[in-house]
Amino acid sequence: MTELFERIGFLQQGPFSVPRWEALFANIDLLWQGALVTLLVASLGLALALALGTLFGVMSSSHWKIARGFSRAYVEFYQNTPLLIQVFMIFNALPILFTGMFIPVIAIGVLGVGMYHGAYIAEVVRAGIQSIGRGQLEAALSQGFGYIGAMRYIIIPQAMRVVLPPLTNQAVSLIKNTSVLAVIAGGDLMYAGDAFAGRFGHYGPTYIVVGLLYFVMCFPLARLARKLESRAKEA
Amino acid sequence: MKRSALLSLLLALVLAFGVFGLAGCAAEEPAEEPATEEPAGEEPAAELPAGVQEIADSGKLRVGVKADVPNFGLQDAATGEFEGMEIDLAYALAERMGLSRDDVVFEAVTAKTRGPLLDNGQLDVVIATFTIKPERLEQWNFTDPYYQDEVGLLVKKSAGIESLADLDGKVIGVAQGATSRDAVQVEADKLGIKVEFLEFATYPEINAALESGRVDAFSVDKSILSGYLTDDSVILPDGFSPQDYGVASKLGTDELRDFINEMLAEMQENGDMDELLAKWNLG
Repeated sequence: MTELFERIGFLQQGPFSVPRWEALFANIDLLWQGALVTLLVASLGLALALALGTLFGVMSSSHWKIARGFSRAYVEFYQNTPLLIQVFMIFNALPILFTGMFIPVIAIGVLGVGMYHGAYIAEVVRAGIQSIGRGQLEAALSQGFGYIGAMRYIIIPQAMRVVLPPLTNQAVSLIKNTSVLAVIAGGDLMYAGDAFAGRFGHYGPTYIVVGLLYFVMCFPLARLARKLESRAKEA
Repeated sequence: MKRSALLSLLLALVLAFGVFGLAGCAAEEPAEEPATEEPAGEEPAAELPAGVQEIADSGKLRVGVKADVPNFGLQDAATGEFEGMEIDLAYALAERMGLSRDDVVFEAVTAKTRGPLLDNGQLDVVIATFTIKPERLEQWNFTDPYYQDEVGLLVKKSAGIESLADLDGKVIGVAQGATSRDAVQVEADKLGIKVEFLEFATYPEINAALESGRVDAFSVDKSILSGYLTDDSVILPDGFSPQDYGVASKLGTDELRDFINEMLAEMQENGDMDELLAKWNLG
């Protein structure tokens, strides 16, 4: 077995050599901490994104013009500017514009991915609501439901089936997008990997393990999306 | 359902290791390349060592330099041209190899990217305020030092900070992959103070964080800090752990390293180096 290892060149020297793997695993706690921050930011960010997405999605399918306009503006702004710039601005520009306004980096992460994916989720929700026949809403209204009540009890439960698979996909990209925090020293998994790789030069194993950790976080969700999709088709 | 889940997991793993394997092969490849190729008698006068001749034959010297460090390596935003002391060193090296200035291909690097770019063969040498350290000598070849500097701290005048001791409980911005973090930590431990570090990929990012008050001090080599000095900031008198800059190349390129060492020694002797340092206000 060891003889086999000795014959594999890239394990002997270069960026992927065995000593580098050992150095990484001796310090693997640094990556765990980063992964925990990523999980925290992703879960809080997802909660915010879902809340915003539902709110703006419902608003954009209402016939109240101001609500539609407001929702449109939000969606267009966040869909058409890079997340990286949004996060960089909250980090550096806010404290300059409003002296001493230091939002903690974790909160910036939650706000950043939450607002950004909230815009995408709003579109998903809007499409879901619009996929339910107009007649459903009219029937609900004629039965004495208000607009909110009709949405809450009649439309959204039906739209859920259509909306769930793309929602899950949003959750997957939200997790991956938390990696922008690395740019503002956010302490997330990507930052932890960057910091470790840069400090000791063991970038080969580090980025492989970091990539695997993201994969482990995202893969189950991606599978879930597929499952929900096929279930939605069957129903 | 279950089988397809397993299958796709397997496929993903195979893909992941495929990439890994390829990267491994790529890293290995140059070692197997025949080091000597007949230069076909094109340049009879210059007798270059094989490892250097190989680069000369390629007609290009690929150099990793800093693009954001005034006086060392700075890219002019308007023209795209690089300039600085390290840029001139690269030109001198090219000429010594029998190449012209136009044959030098500059690639902007950061503290984080310069190592990998050497390892994967995209660059021949890195001349980018690269500090020689024992751990790094295990990973790359370094020449003798061509410049010595020390780690310093840049703070805002309004903060009223006069020395490292005043930074107790404060946040210091450093570059990822730079030696300044360790250097400052050692000094802080000596003083018995606690400091926190935030790491950024580039110097302008650290500077932005200093401007916005996200960090209380910007720490990197003093000569680099001088490029970010403004009317309302100041470099503290403290200086830690002298840093030697060397020209780096991939492990195993000993002939290239020796060739550059000869050049550096010659430049020290005939006064070219002093002239170069004076030209860039580094003397």
